[in-house]
Amino acid sequence: SQQSGAELDCASVAVGTPVVPMGSAVTASCTIRRERCRGLEDGQPQISWLLDSEPMAGRQRRGVGGTEVSELSVPQLNRPQAKLWCCVEWNGTKQRVGMAEIRAGYPPGKPSNLSCLLDLSDYGLTCRWQQGADGHLPTNVMLKCATSRSPAVTGCTPPNGHSQCTVPRRLLQLYRPMELWVTATNALGTAESERLRIDPMDVAKLDPPTLQSIHSVPPQTDCVTLTWAMAPRNAHMEQCCELRYRAAEDPSWDVVTGIPGHAGTMQHCKFLFGMLYHFQMRCRRDSARGYWSEWSVGRNYTTHEKAP
Amino acid sequence: APLAELSGDHDFQLFLHKNLEFTRKIRGDVAALQRVVCDTFQLCTEEELQLVRPDPPLMQAPLDQCLKRGFQAEVCFSQIRAGLHAYQDSLGAVLQLLPEHTALVETLQLDAANLSTNIQQQMEDLGLDTVTLPAEHRSPPPAFSTDFQQQVGGFFILANFQRFLETAYRALRHLAR
Repeated sequence: SQQSGAELDCASVAVGTPVVPMGSAVTASCTIRRERCRGLEDGQPQISWLLDSEPMAGRQRRGVGGTEVSELSVPQLNRPQAKLWCCVEWNGTKQRVGMAEIRAGYPPGKPSNLSCLLDLSDYGLTCRWQQGADGHLPTNVMLKCATSRSPAVTGCTPPNGHSQCTVPRRLLQLYRPMELWVTATNALGTAESERLRIDPMDVAKLDPPTLQSIHSVPPQTDCVTLTWAMAPRNAHMEQCCELRYRAAEDPSWDVVTGIPGHAGTMQHCKFLFGMLYHFQMRCRRDSARGYWSEWSVGRNYTTHEKAP
Repeated sequence: APLAELSGDHDFQLFLHKNLEFTRKIRGDVAALQRVVCDTFQLCTEEELQLVRPDPPLMQAPLDQCLKRGFQAEVCFSQIRAGLHAYQDSLGAVLQLLPEHTALVETLQLDAANLSTNIQQQMEDLGLDTVTLPAEHRSPPPAFSTDFQQQVGGFFILANFQRFLETAYRALRHLAR
């Protein structure tokens, strides 16, 4: 039968478990086929090891089919990555004839602080999280999501090293709770974040409203009436808004909260007469996890002078 | 469960409010496509197209059960779901008519599917009988023999769907507190 590549080589190195918990033992064996090692004279080859550049001694014995075998046990591997070299003495030199990569690390840490935001431009759900403790090993991270009724699990994979990715619209179920969570998997195990149960629409990032008009009505009072329009993209959505205003020279804002977005108009009082004020408004979904829109473009208004 | 009982149920009211909003969104997207058809093909009002209405007439999903006084939520919801399923298929003709708006039409089809699933899952939660509409069993979109017929067909598919959504919206709103 076709011999596998390794059996044609001068030497082959086999490792018990290439990835071990940090500080654990690693066992390996090196098999030398003298006839395959160009220039290696007759007689028994002396096998030795290097852990990266650190000499290590193995136990050597005769193997099957005229091979020579050395077995090595590294009691504690305390570095995340190392090369285990199999060497043979030749002409007074140490020849590197085989190598195996070994790794040590930890199971992945638990991802945390998962939060998601729905972008209304494409209805993609972008989720961010905090990576768990580094396991010092190659780790596959995935955001998983499932609708409440379907067993199918889909999601997205963050670009290398990033802690965010976007679930496309076609995998989402709008206006219905979904479950999202992050999994991190390496050779030593898997860790899962807490599960986030949200309706994607409840975490939509809204576009800001547009302040349309501001004036004193009825005149001679300290009240101001404002009107605004909802952003077209989220005009169909129920929102609650807040208004902030400040006198031109005053750095601090006053804020009016709990304004129903679709009202489109409101009245507020206790303004000073003959004063220039700066107004802005923002809105968000009526849900605990809603994100505020940006503040609207500002609008100025000078209240009328007090009647003599 | 009798309607009276349903309307007091918190989850049911939450379902209604969420899917009233969802229906508003879908209606907005259908209106956007109607504007595209108007701007692109100058087909803007039904009144001007009475003589060229597709014959045989295009599918108009029935919602008669939702129009009855004191209607049965169960039967009305089933009609809404069946209609959403049918319009999903019909929108395939709009896809062919407006290739440069594929994203919006496909979003519309996806939203219609989601709304239907939301209604089905809510009916299951309420213990109402539901019919599982086989996702893979799709009907081909209507076919038209001339470009003009295809444009008119696309116009009426959107007009019929908009009318369907308005009726469905009124039915959901009737149930909402």
